[in-house]
Amino acid sequence: MNFMTAKTTDLADKAAWLRREIFEMVIRQKKGHIPSSFSCAEILTALYYGDIVRYSRGWADDPDRDRVIISKGHAAAALYPILADIGYFPAEELARFTQPGGLLGMYADFRVPGIEGISGSLGHGIGMGAGFALAARMDKKDYRTFVVLGDGECYEGSIWESAMFAAHHKLDNLVAIVDRNALCILGQTEELLELGDLEDKWRSFGWHAVTANGHSFDSLMRALSQVGDTKGKPLAIIANTVKGKGVSFMEGRSEWHNRMPSEEQIAQARAELGILAAQTNMAG
Amino acid sequence: MRDVVIDEIFAAAKNNRDILFISADLGAKALDDFRRDLPDQFIHAGISEQNMVDLASGLALSGKTVFLYAMAPFLTARCYEQIKCVIASMNLPVTFIAVGVGLGYDHATLTHFTPEDIATMRAMNGIEVLSPSDAVSARAVVDRALADPAFRYIRLERQAQAELYNGNAGSALDRGFAELATGEDVAILACGYLTHKALQARQELAEKGVSAGVIDLLRLKPIDGKSLAAVLADYERLVTVEEQILDGGMGSAIAEALLDAGIMKPIKRLGMRDGFEVVNGNRDELHALYGIGTDDIVAASAAA
Repeated sequence: MNFMTAKTTDLADKAAWLRREIFEMVIRQKKGHIPSSFSCAEILTALYYGDIVRYSRGWADDPDRDRVIISKGHAAAALYPILADIGYFPAEELARFTQPGGLLGMYADFRVPGIEGISGSLGHGIGMGAGFALAARMDKKDYRTFVVLGDGECYEGSIWESAMFAAHHKLDNLVAIVDRNALCILGQTEELLELGDLEDKWRSFGWHAVTANGHSFDSLMRALSQVGDTKGKPLAIIANTVKGKGVSFMEGRSEWHNRMPSEEQIAQARAELGILAAQTNMAG
Repeated sequence: MRDVVIDEIFAAAKNNRDILFISADLGAKALDDFRRDLPDQFIHAGISEQNMVDLASGLALSGKTVFLYAMAPFLTARCYEQIKCVIASMNLPVTFIAVGVGLGYDHATLTHFTPEDIATMRAMNGIEVLSPSDAVSARAVVDRALADPAFRYIRLERQAQAELYNGNAGSALDRGFAELATGEDVAILACGYLTHKALQARQELAEKGVSAGVIDLLRLKPIDGKSLAAVLADYERLVTVEEQILDGGMGSAIAEALLDAGIMKPIKRLGMRDGFEVVNGNRDELHALYGIGTDDIVAASAAA
């Protein structure tokens, strides 16, 4: 099956839109994590605009909605424009990111409609997701739970405790997507402390594991087409990505983890991201 | 005491499929029935306390009433960050049931001791900390947890304890403490296992002509300082005794509550101190070593 259809072109446009929204939201307040958000822009776009995650527009509490946990809480900002776009809260909130009285904080807060559980501290999402998935089974509900993890997050032992648990309980309604951008704050994961073959590691823990190109919708949609089709096993997708993808001077550079660009760099980034003042939905 | 707690949860769980009991590989006689009859409501988390707490958050966010059960050191310090980040932060109705608090696992020594669980757990945002001293008070505590699920930490003994509450601890639980024995000179404040030691000390003090009251602190957070101060008003001085490092423990909690209520009284706090030695020995021997045994309570209470 060839996923390179008109649809993936639309998805690419959507991912470009998402990067622009994220960039302006962060730059406005000079708070947040651009590279972590950019590495998972296609992943989140595929989930929400590729007909993977089931949601009801404007109704964040729909009991039958799929649950999405942004376990790499640094990238919560990447989810906000999407959640506003699907009507979970007014888009004006994006302009109040991290501001007193604003809804949206730097890390994922469960009080934000569409944020299922708190994150920011790493390593909690798989266990929390296993709880959602187990509850769905107990309640005979068919919602699925998607957990977006960082690869650096896979250093946390709790991830593997929960991975073992989810496999034992055959939680095939649970999907982990690892944003494999190969960078943590101090540098390259494989140089600092080798994570190795993550697909192999997840598989050895009893998951159905596949690898995808995390910036290619063809590849991502192919991997995501297996959601719900891994009978008796949770699904792990290792999405190979580039941290900072979309802004040349940030790509693959760990020093940009939470650094803010200069005015000159902002101009360059905007040019690369295709940002014109009129293009963002942002208020204010 | 743990059997009565599990039996109460078991009875409630039979009529409520949303009640879940999760163990990190700790058993109990009463748990065998639960596991047999309600296999879908019993979950073995693995010897993986971090997973247990993260899992509980997802279940609680899905509308489940969750009880977590493990040896005290592993249910608290081992997964402290999980409790803070995914339970306290979202104020989820998860009850932590710890077995063998303080020096309960005496022969297992340091790794199984919790000389800090009162200080650490009461520092959790929004938690209620409960420390029943017998089966009756344990039943009252767990019944409250079932009737009104909330973020709670319940401290249990491993072994059965002599009954201190005559069939009903409900009103004591409402206040958070009970004056189990009255006195005139000195009030001894304790919780859990050491309440029993305090009552022994009271007998010995009576023989020395010292009239001691004994207060059992069922609830360590929150403490109603005004209500406690009213009961303590007639005592000249206070002695607190605990199987905890003194920093931030029960004695600290009591002193803080009284101070906040505007009450100043001489307080002698007995507890473990920095550099406490870890040796083989039973609980009584450890108490003697740490200066928290019956003799120590008597000595501290008799001193003017």
